[in-house]
Amino acid sequence: MLLKGKNVVVTGCLKGIGRATMELFARNGANIWACCQFQDTEFEESIDALQEQCGVWIVPVYFDLMEYDQVRASVKTILSAKQPVDVLVNIAGMTQDALFQMISMKQLEQIFQVNFFAQMLLTQYIVRAMLRRKAGSVINMSSISAIDGNPGQLSYSASKAALIGATKTLSAELAPSGIRVNAIAPGVIKTDMTKDLPDEKLDKLVDKSSLKRLGLAKEVANALLFLASDMSSYVTGQVLRVDGGIG
Amino acid sequence: MLLAGRNAVITGCNRGIGKRILTTFAENGSNIWACVRKPSDEFERYVKELSARCAIEIWPVYFDLKDAAQIKEAAKTIMSTKKKVDVLVNNAGITYNALFQMSTIDKMKEVFDVNFFAQMIFSQFIVKLMLRNKRGSIINIASSAGIDGNAGRSVYGASKAAIICATKAMSAELGGKGIRVNAIAPGITKTRMLSSMNEEIIQESVQASHLKRVGDPDEVAKACLFLASDMSSYVTGQTLRVDGGLG
Repeated sequence: MLLKGKNVVVTGCLKGIGRATMELFARNGANIWACCQFQDTEFEESIDALQEQCGVWIVPVYFDLMEYDQVRASVKTILSAKQPVDVLVNIAGMTQDALFQMISMKQLEQIFQVNFFAQMLLTQYIVRAMLRRKAGSVINMSSISAIDGNPGQLSYSASKAALIGATKTLSAELAPSGIRVNAIAPGVIKTDMTKDLPDEKLDKLVDKSSLKRLGLAKEVANALLFLASDMSSYVTGQVLRVDGGIG
Repeated sequence: MLLAGRNAVITGCNRGIGKRILTTFAENGSNIWACVRKPSDEFERYVKELSARCAIEIWPVYFDLKDAAQIKEAAKTIMSTKKKVDVLVNNAGITYNALFQMSTIDKMKEVFDVNFFAQMIFSQFIVKLMLRNKRGSIINIASSAGIDGNAGRSVYGASKAAIICATKAMSAELGGKGIRVNAIAPGITKTRMLSSMNEEIIQESVQASHLKRVGDPDEVAKACLFLASDMSSYVTGQTLRVDGGLG
């Protein structure tokens, strides 16, 4: 129960890493604003079961990171609950595979809109609430491709690299006020995002890793739990690779 | 209880960070070979109390890292128990502050003997045990000085840089066999080692850190717990800075 009584905002809760994070955090006693893009019945039913099982509250919040107005409106919903926000986990994001010469400016702007600008906007609002209590932990979901580079992923990796720069700068700005800011750089994790990768490419990546296997969403969730909880009280401005030892 | 039923070897348990790691691991259900240089009543009493309080076993092991024969003897003692070893924390080490031009070759050799060679030999023995179970987690306590290179710490920092590089190579070699290897790089931490440092330099570092404070040994121990436990099952080859945001 590492997050007992803590209130957490998690984005991208519908599937994959976000879903695993929501479940793990709830099992560790956190109340959650579970953010995702679309309303979904299966999702709401599973939330109901989860909050009952864990004795916490989980509120679904729906918004599209492409729409600033929706982001703003959702923040209002969250803050109107008059509950402190202890943790923000920016997981929602999109991927885009294209060679550099083939990327249109529209695509490039779109991925930065979702993976960077919208995250910054949401973070500004939530941090404002955290500053009142001079406590908080913000975690951004980056990627090892932001550090290592990955052919065919220029737009994705650049947008995730921007998050690393923001993480370090935010840490320097906010840690004196008691807010820690860290990032996680996952490697190849078994999710919908990676299921369409050709086997050949997957095998190559797995072979490059020390552990010689794909990661699981719950393994990333566990690393997020560490950074969200007081277990990491002296860790800030860091990018933690959860990649089975690729780099 | 993140380490329930696990067996851990921890070096340098009699004070500072090591003593805190010993305590945190015990509180999380681990049995421990607590390695220290010399027997003392105070240590034996502490260990007895701790093991009773946590309902685990602690076996004190005495050896001097400056003596290869003693290291081998200690490893044999551990091996002879026929118990599995799940975790190794290489924490013991010595510090040395001197400007580069003032550092003597004898002192350099001594620092590397203890901070590097001894750790390597001891790890070789313990890894042999871990390989039998095809599972294990090794944590090397390095230092932010091993990454940043601080004035007056050329020798100490270099010995810790050597450990960081060994961590990565060991991870690459052992990951496929189920053994994860990571390092922790603590920043300015409230220990006796700290009192060897110039107060002005400490204050400078504290001001340079994002959190603007000295770290507590407990905060390093919690990070160590993360890396020792299954919470970090997809993290290997990493050096986790626990430094309040120094770099």
